[in-house]
Amino acid sequence: MKLKTNSYIVIIVLFLLGAVMPLVLRRYNLFMLTEIIIFALYAVSYNLLLGYAGLLSFGHAMFFGLGAFVAAVSIIHIPGLTLLSAVIISLVITTITGFLIGGLLLRHKGAYFALLTMAFNALFYAVATKWHSVTGGDDGLSISRPEMDLGFASLSVSSVSSFYYLILIVVGASIVFCWYFTHTAMGKTVLLMRENEERMKFLGYNTNISRLILFTFTGAIAGLAGAFYTLHFQFVSISAISIDMTTAVLLMVFVGGTRTFWGPILGAFVYIIFQNYLSDITDRWPLFMGLIFVFMVLYVPGGLSQTIVSIRQWFSGRTGTQDNGPAKAEET
Amino acid sequence: MSDYLHIKDIHKDFSGLQVLTGVDFKVVEKERHAVIGPNGAGKTTLFNIISGKFKASSGAILFKGEDLSGKPPHMLNRYGLSRSFQITNVFSELSVFENILTGVRSRYGLRYNFFKRPDHNKDFREKTEAIIEEVGLKDVGDLPASALSYGQQRALEIGITLSTEPELILLDEPTAGMTREETGQAISLIDRVTADRTLIIIEHDMDVVFSLADTISVLHYGKILASDTPDEIRNDQRVKDAYLGEE
Amino acid sequence: MNEIAVFFLHGLAYAGLLFLVSAGLTLVFGMMNVLNFAHAAMYMLGAYFSYSIMLRMSGQIWLSLIVCPIALFIIGALIERFLLRKVHANGHVAELLLTFGLAYIITELVKWYWGNYPLAVNVTGFLNGTVQIMGITYPIYRIFIFLCAIFVGLLMAFILYKTRLGIILRAAVNDSETVNTLGVNVPLVFMGVFAFGAALSGFAGVIAGPLLSTFPGMAHDILLDAFVVIVVGGFGSLGGAVVASLLIGELQSFGVLLFPKLSIALMYMLMAAVLIIKPSGLFGEEQ
Repeated sequence: MKLKTNSYIVIIVLFLLGAVMPLVLRRYNLFMLTEIIIFALYAVSYNLLLGYAGLLSFGHAMFFGLGAFVAAVSIIHIPGLTLLSAVIISLVITTITGFLIGGLLLRHKGAYFALLTMAFNALFYAVATKWHSVTGGDDGLSISRPEMDLGFASLSVSSVSSFYYLILIVVGASIVFCWYFTHTAMGKTVLLMRENEERMKFLGYNTNISRLILFTFTGAIAGLAGAFYTLHFQFVSISAISIDMTTAVLLMVFVGGTRTFWGPILGAFVYIIFQNYLSDITDRWPLFMGLIFVFMVLYVPGGLSQTIVSIRQWFSGRTGTQDNGPAKAEET
Repeated sequence: MSDYLHIKDIHKDFSGLQVLTGVDFKVVEKERHAVIGPNGAGKTTLFNIISGKFKASSGAILFKGEDLSGKPPHMLNRYGLSRSFQITNVFSELSVFENILTGVRSRYGLRYNFFKRPDHNKDFREKTEAIIEEVGLKDVGDLPASALSYGQQRALEIGITLSTEPELILLDEPTAGMTREETGQAISLIDRVTADRTLIIIEHDMDVVFSLADTISVLHYGKILASDTPDEIRNDQRVKDAYLGEE
Repeated sequence: MNEIAVFFLHGLAYAGLLFLVSAGLTLVFGMMNVLNFAHAAMYMLGAYFSYSIMLRMSGQIWLSLIVCPIALFIIGALIERFLLRKVHANGHVAELLLTFGLAYIITELVKWYWGNYPLAVNVTGFLNGTVQIMGITYPIYRIFIFLCAIFVGLLMAFILYKTRLGIILRAAVNDSETVNTLGVNVPLVFMGVFAFGAALSGFAGVIAGPLLSTFPGMAHDILLDAFVVIVVGGFGSLGGAVVASLLIGELQSFGVLLFPKLSIALMYMLMAAVLIIKPSGLFGEEQ
């Protein structure tokens, strides 16, 4: 029980740290930190699928991209739309899409499921490329960020720091909810299903429905991240819905580690910084990405977070095995 | 007045191979009913059909007058059926407490909730603790299931089976692989926890069968050879022949 | 009428190519339950090797057809032995991610060595000629592709269903442990299967080069088409791959003619329809 209080303290400290960042960081770095938080949510949503439910999808970008495009399209076509309404529209549409696609694809398992998700991602990409009149095709869509309507007052979030605060609070809270989710009945059900699906069935759980609910939920969260991605860059291109965007999240989650909740957040952090600096010095970024993948799979399958946990346990004399049950994610 | 449980003319073939050829017997409420039979008689298949793992090729499973055949396992569980597994089938990385809690919260409908934390519910915690105590795992409640001894894992297996508060319990060779001493403890455990419930048990060990069962059904070549009290079964010539024929 | 014949034959040629790519993919998938994302990258590697060889052979393709599959066979065997086998114990997620990473590495290395632009090489000799067929003059090379596919398909069917090796292969899929205890070296069989799949992809790459030109995006393009073939045809089914390749090949070809705006989406719509009606694919077994 002591652990839980610790987790809440960590969350509060992180938010406080985040709150002082605009005073410390330069504008460019603050912009990057905003991006990191958005991608952290995307990575967390993906890890609920991969790490917690054991479902390997190569199509998570279809939800991220859909959320991004729906936000852009609705801001362009609905005059006077407020920021939060655009986000909610994205959320609703990605939820419905996730439900329909999940219903179709979840009848398959393992490698076959992975293949199908990739094919559907390709379908979304093809549609986004061809449907020029709506998505802008290869040119993408530019938007200007709408104001926040708080009911009693409108708030401008056009500056880098004000938008950063919005992201810190809204996206940060979404990440915290995802963390809380892993402790709720549904979150536990998903984890238990990965452990022993047959037994869950015999204990009265409808495992097919559970998987569909989780798939829909993670799709919606990815869509939410996508919507904020559009608002952040005030631009969306077809790369947001491409397989490269799936690769990106896969790499973040894998580098960070699937076995802890916070691993993917760390992964998003490392990935965005790494990508920003590497693409400055080399155009062989995909080669490094491939090498990192192979290296991680072969030598660090648990990711950075697993390494950190191991080091911490080693220092504490291997007593702390309880606090971070690797992969079994009981209390992470 | 319909029967409590009527296994009615169950047939099962696996791509042409006839395993069950018209199994038919009745189970009375609150009795302990053992199904025995030589190896390959189809006991496990029958058990898997009753518990919903397999679908019967034909026949019916009438539970209080309602046909349950073909219903998926999670629905059967909600009718009050619960089964154990011959090969220990627990959540091995999770604690004993979590293992039991999973069934307890399912019984009370807390399965897919996005907001409630099952471990925050005092009622569920108490019910879980009670079951853990009942199966004698109080001292190891916080350990992961994989850290338990074999006998303790078998006790946990029964604990999980009990966790959804079933009225009809199906036990699949609960003492398989146990030592004499462990078997003795298991018998008294089963005896205790199934009081006031209906039990169907598949068992190889005749000591277990005769010390627990009120009624015994003998399965032979995919059919019920006899279904009667232990004393009658003990003296039944057909049953003797069936078992002798095996050797 | 002539136009229809042209599009029909184009469709057959692409179907042949698709079959060559997806046959290897579905073989590895069916036998080892590994979805090899690097398959198309190996196909691309075959095409680039062939390009370099053909330049020196003044456009003759025959040497490439022998050398490239052998080279890819060796590469495939090495990948299986030293990478894939190491992560096998970590489950299929690790295997998929490994091949995924390899696909990136191979693609980037190819870009590095051969450059990031299309390379065209024209086949010479009698394959460069034309033939009168169905009332039109048609390039021999495209017909040659289709014939290669038929040859490879028959060869695979023969090996799988008429030889002792085929029996072992099919048994190893169902129950590798039992086959192992029967004295068959299952790891060696798996290495052979993976290497053979790589060789097939290399062969397909050689053939694709003169048809589609050789460029770094060729891997990505055909990978998704091959995925759709596998989904439509059915998990690990060779017969399914034949039928689905023909379907997709013709659909792609006539799609451009009939619904130019929808052409890409048509293939995926077919896939979605199959998934709704028969989730295991046209020839797939129920799992």
